[in-house]
Amino acid sequence: MESPAISNKKVIHPFVVTILLSLLLSSCYSVRLMNKNGIPEPDPLNTSEDFYRGKRVHVLDTVITLKPVEGEFYLIERCASGGFYSFEYKVTFGGVLLNVITFGKKRQVKIKYVCLKQSD
Amino acid sequence: MATTVKHEIGSWDTFHNNGPFPTKVLYETLLEAKGNMPSITDRYNDAAAEIQRLIQLALSNREGFRAYGSAWSMSHIAHQKDNMHFNTAMNLKRTIDVDELHPNATYVRENLFFFECGNIIKEINQFLFDNGKSLKTTGASNGQTIAGCVSTGVHGSALDVGSVQDSVVGINLIIGAGIDDIVYLERHTRPALNDVFASRIKARIIRNDDLFKAALVSLGSFGFIHGITVEAENRFLLNRYVKRISKDKALQLAQTLAFEDADFVVEGETDAGGKPLRPYHYKIFINPYVNDTEYVVEAMYKKPYRSGYPDPVPRIKTAIYRDLILLFTSIAERFRNSIPSLIRLLQTSVLPPVDLQVTGTIGEIFWDAGYQGPAYACAVGVDSRDSPKALELLANLAKNEGPIPGLYAMRFVRQSDATLAFTRFPVTCMLEIDGLIWNPQRDNIISLPQFCTRIIEVLQANNIPFTIHWGKNADWSFPGLIEHMYGANAQQWKECRSALLKEETAALFSNRFLQDTGLSEYIVNAPLALAASVV
Repeated sequence: MESPAISNKKVIHPFVVTILLSLLLSSCYSVRLMNKNGIPEPDPLNTSEDFYRGKRVHVLDTVITLKPVEGEFYLIERCASGGFYSFEYKVTFGGVLLNVITFGKKRQVKIKYVCLKQSD
Repeated sequence: MATTVKHEIGSWDTFHNNGPFPTKVLYETLLEAKGNMPSITDRYNDAAAEIQRLIQLALSNREGFRAYGSAWSMSHIAHQKDNMHFNTAMNLKRTIDVDELHPNATYVRENLFFFECGNIIKEINQFLFDNGKSLKTTGASNGQTIAGCVSTGVHGSALDVGSVQDSVVGINLIIGAGIDDIVYLERHTRPALNDVFASRIKARIIRNDDLFKAALVSLGSFGFIHGITVEAENRFLLNRYVKRISKDKALQLAQTLAFEDADFVVEGETDAGGKPLRPYHYKIFINPYVNDTEYVVEAMYKKPYRSGYPDPVPRIKTAIYRDLILLFTSIAERFRNSIPSLIRLLQTSVLPPVDLQVTGTIGEIFWDAGYQGPAYACAVGVDSRDSPKALELLANLAKNEGPIPGLYAMRFVRQSDATLAFTRFPVTCMLEIDGLIWNPQRDNIISLPQFCTRIIEVLQANNIPFTIHWGKNADWSFPGLIEHMYGANAQQWKECRSALLKEETAALFSNRFLQDTGLSEYIVNAPLALAASVV
């Protein structure tokens, strides 16, 4: 026969897991900004089955460490055409946690962008 | 110098996953940087030299060579097993100079523009808009290259306008690796540009109506289409409405196109006497599995351009009655992975609520259409007067021998004079069937190739003259198909091609699609006059 304590654990665990999963999933999302009149830089080798199919995608996936007195930072990227077609940033639970526990000094960066196609 | 990147890809696929197809090499040519070569003409000619180098390489290896752009065609028309050339980065564009207009031209110089092959419709829309102009028509979206549109006959539903190729007044082809192998084709009865223009792009001019009309819808087989001269018009706006009307009324309009005398009245789209205006665009959406008493129709009315209208793109972005495949995928969203469930849904559902009214330019109304997953599309062209009968036959085909996961639509396009234009009737009704690709074994239903064959058999058995969209799924090997659809025009097209190209370059610009259709045949004794200027 199972002890009452063990029975309680069985009842509580799925609930806790569900709550945790909900928190984790809801704190992981992405936002995509798109240029209405822009034409994306093409990539014939990109066969991904999503928004990026046929587009040349650039990915930034890094952690920025700020100096003690540094409040903001810039990432400088270059598009040969001079403009961005789309820009997507992703927020993850791990990234938020990292920012919190380092008092904002470490920032996870997950960005996907597509440049404009070059044109005269 | 223009540079070419070589990718040994092994296999290639269309944008909509209609392959894969075995392919050795994919080339991608990039133009010289503007800062290094400021003149557009110099960069254009520099790119031509690079293409000739690639053609020579393929000829030396006794291989094929075929250009493609956005890979939107669902048939294997763009595929070549040896060498494919991705030309989308070749996107120079320019206006026509005063000294380049032919003295007998009947065109307004300001309406003429020269586009390199890799310009996609969206960038042409933008460029023309910045010059106060607009294309006369486009497809239902904007991602195809201009060369791809013209050579496969891309159309919208502009019933009094025609297809994209019908705005073309000149074609620059690279037909080989020699010095004389850059040609510029025009109609001899309607010349547009003069020898000054031709000499600037180092081309020899051939003014010949028959050759021009054959090369217009060339299926990519008259050479490398390097540039196209297009006649645009002043920019305009379209008022777009989506309405439910009775099935009988929708089909009566399809058959007669007599909008002015019909009782299809859209508020605000009447003349001073209250009679309905003739729409620029008319399209019908149909669920073949439901015997609905109403159909959804999309109608657009052309208006002079004015600034200050609300931005239509936020509404267009969420509109579902645009591209047929977009409508289908928005309905099918929940059942993508279960075709039987999807078909059950289609068999019990009416079409979703209509979109809101919106106003915009052609570039805004026919805006972006993203990747929707592996998709198929069949499209047959019939005389608009035959369209209700053809719809009934093909809807019955889906019901009786299917089902298949797809929806139907009808679009209407004015006749083209291109030799192999599938819009060959006075007004062609393009009857379209779009949907998601399925697995016939797993889903235990008719296969797409079988369904495509039955489309041809059913239309033939019922004596309905028809054509098939070059860029869509069909049984392209069906015996005698091309002759059945085009009669003497098919032979005329082959003779013009054979007169223009040498036998070895005709083979170079052929592919499996051309072989399947029998259009790769080289007529050794084709009269050379077919490829000579008519004075």
